[in-house]
Amino acid sequence: MDLQFTPEELAFRAEIRQWVADNLPKDISHKVLNALRQSREDMQRWAQILGAKGWLGYGWPKQFGGPGWTAVQKHLFEEECALAGAPRIVPFGPVMVAPVIMAFGTPEQHQRFLPGIASGKVWWSQGYSEPGSGSDLASLKTRADRKGNVYVVNGQKTWTTLGQYGEWIFCLVRTSHEGKPQTGISFLLIDMKSPGITVRPIITLDGEHEVNEVFFDNVEVPVENLIGEENKGWTYAKHLLAHERTNIADVNRAKRELERVKRIAKAEGVYEDRRFRDQIAQLEVDIVALEMLVLRVLSAEKSGKQSLDIAGLLKIRGSEIQQRYSELMMLAAGPMTLPYVHEAMEAGWQGDFAGAAVCAPLAGTYFNMRKTTIYGGSNEVQRNIVSQTVLG
Amino acid sequence: MDFEFTEDQVSLRDAVARWVEKGFDFSRRHALAKAGGQTREVYTELAELGLTGLAVPEAHGGMGFGAVEAMVVMEELGRGLVNAPYAAAALITPTLLSAAPEAVKANWLPRIAEGSALVVPALQERSARYKLRHVTTQAVSGVAGWMLTGQKSVVPAADEADAFIVPARISGNADDTTGIGLFLVEKGAAGSTVTGYATQDGGRAGELKLANATATLITEDGFALLEQAVDVGIAASCAEGVGAMDKIVAITVEYMNTRKQFGVTLANFQALRHRIADVKMQLELGRSMSYFASLKLGEAGPQRRRALSQAKVQLGQSMRFVGQQCTQIHGGIGVTDEYISSHYFKRLTMLEMAWGDTLHHLGEVSDRMQDTAGVFA
Repeated sequence: MDLQFTPEELAFRAEIRQWVADNLPKDISHKVLNALRQSREDMQRWAQILGAKGWLGYGWPKQFGGPGWTAVQKHLFEEECALAGAPRIVPFGPVMVAPVIMAFGTPEQHQRFLPGIASGKVWWSQGYSEPGSGSDLASLKTRADRKGNVYVVNGQKTWTTLGQYGEWIFCLVRTSHEGKPQTGISFLLIDMKSPGITVRPIITLDGEHEVNEVFFDNVEVPVENLIGEENKGWTYAKHLLAHERTNIADVNRAKRELERVKRIAKAEGVYEDRRFRDQIAQLEVDIVALEMLVLRVLSAEKSGKQSLDIAGLLKIRGSEIQQRYSELMMLAAGPMTLPYVHEAMEAGWQGDFAGAAVCAPLAGTYFNMRKTTIYGGSNEVQRNIVSQTVLG
Repeated sequence: MDFEFTEDQVSLRDAVARWVEKGFDFSRRHALAKAGGQTREVYTELAELGLTGLAVPEAHGGMGFGAVEAMVVMEELGRGLVNAPYAAAALITPTLLSAAPEAVKANWLPRIAEGSALVVPALQERSARYKLRHVTTQAVSGVAGWMLTGQKSVVPAADEADAFIVPARISGNADDTTGIGLFLVEKGAAGSTVTGYATQDGGRAGELKLANATATLITEDGFALLEQAVDVGIAASCAEGVGAMDKIVAITVEYMNTRKQFGVTLANFQALRHRIADVKMQLELGRSMSYFASLKLGEAGPQRRRALSQAKVQLGQSMRFVGQQCTQIHGGIGVTDEYISSHYFKRLTMLEMAWGDTLHHLGEVSDRMQDTAGVFA
């Protein structure tokens, strides 16, 4: 048992750190480090810089053109990117759909879809949730009826993150009403330019356009866009959920944001306030404990143990901590978080309300972060899953 | 970066667990506690297992093992609710003696290693709370050697011990970090009296009163070593807490799967399922930070102190939550003396206050705050 990375791992970290320092555009990291609004172009530019280096699919095995990194290397890469202020990799393509295509797609599908994902050229979206199917995802109703060489898709998806930019969308659709709800679901890749698709914005409580509704009205999807077998989509989706277990804790970003909490607390004059500072100290302890939890999962993966029963805790704890740091930042600025000026979250905005540069995004970020304990399986659903592993 | 145990560490764990299983069941533990918490015979059995020499250097008849081995043993003693003063006598005392003159080491360490001498730290003063530098016991050097005057409280196994390690002030004021010496006071030393009592958690402690009591000098500049020894104690209490939490959670899970109300087992109720998920969270955060505590013990003073305080904050919170919630989930049976879980709850409660409670260590983390934080910061 030891707490040191190997010399090789440390050399790897140094290499990544240098590369990120050399290649991450400053205008982008400025936005990330100050929680300013990122454009599609910002996210796409960073994705394509990573793609050109072969690191956008940083979790991919070598046979599909990925770097073939170990779990620890992936963690170190995520950490270096997060601490430097790189945008989060939009996960839908490289992290979520690509492993499913690799595992269950045909060689033709590999060739057709993976290069566009690896390079960051094609923007993917996720079509899972529906108005009537949130935590109870398997109850989904969007249907795909086979007619000759196409599926005809009808229904509605919702909470489609950044779907306004989407070029392709991977969807869970109902292809059968036989048996349990889970058994009649298929995994379909859909070109978002197809006739019959409508994307409508959902404005969230922070006033931002991040999520969307996607409507399907007799959308024809060629049968060769089906992944694997019909009615097996639920199994493939679960495979997807099993990927990237540690990243979901987002502990690296939490460490970066803890530094920001301290910067803001200093600027707002509460860093020396004993009662406030102790709250930061508590968050610091929580983050160190989460990081240790993540490292334990990584260590278990490294030694080939998959059955570690703590991975299910990572989403719960990670999301609670994300909410907590956004809350503390807002509380640090206090009354100066009250003004809502939509333009103030644009880089370079020259506002004239006091404390604009620091305070403008704080309340919005706090409101936005309420999503983290809801999405990806609400924390209550996560507790159900944890209790299953504890109680047997 | 690796959290696997070596084969030797697994064997060590198994040896302790086997002894608990065969020789330290709840009825024995309960009887010892009821009789006042004296456990010298238990300590002797731990010595026969070779455990008392774990932290004593090989040169003095011990095994010279490290922090991870100590953690493994403490987890198992916690799991078994073993109420002997092992952490105090076998882990903290050898640390305090590491600065002693060779003659003192040669006199005491071999006997400590073989378990024939029970030497305990007597650190707590009535008005000090958790402030280590607050030492009012006075040390005076005279023709007959060093003599101590003062009182130490809640000294582990005080009326069973053969000797005490006592911090006493050689110079300066009550809260100075300089001028604190460490001394060894033997049982029955002229000018010393000991009063023993049972503790809330089934163990034993007592008051050590010193009135010009004769003492042997360990070091005249003992504060840094005192901090280090207390950090050893923190890591040990973290590991013991993990073992105790592991066990009380297992007991609670079994209860949830067997106890029926409204015609179904407790495990059917979502309110309780979510509660046990939260308990599991606190247990695993606690285990993670117990590893952290032991693995950081070898670092330089300031980093070590900060890390150990971070760990004790987490363990303090975890132990309190797990203890309280496992008691709650049990219902009425959980607050009875005859049922085992209440004894785990009491031990977990007292462990929070061992070597600094949660608020104290949160304050330490706050005082030591840097711009960056994390496992490697």
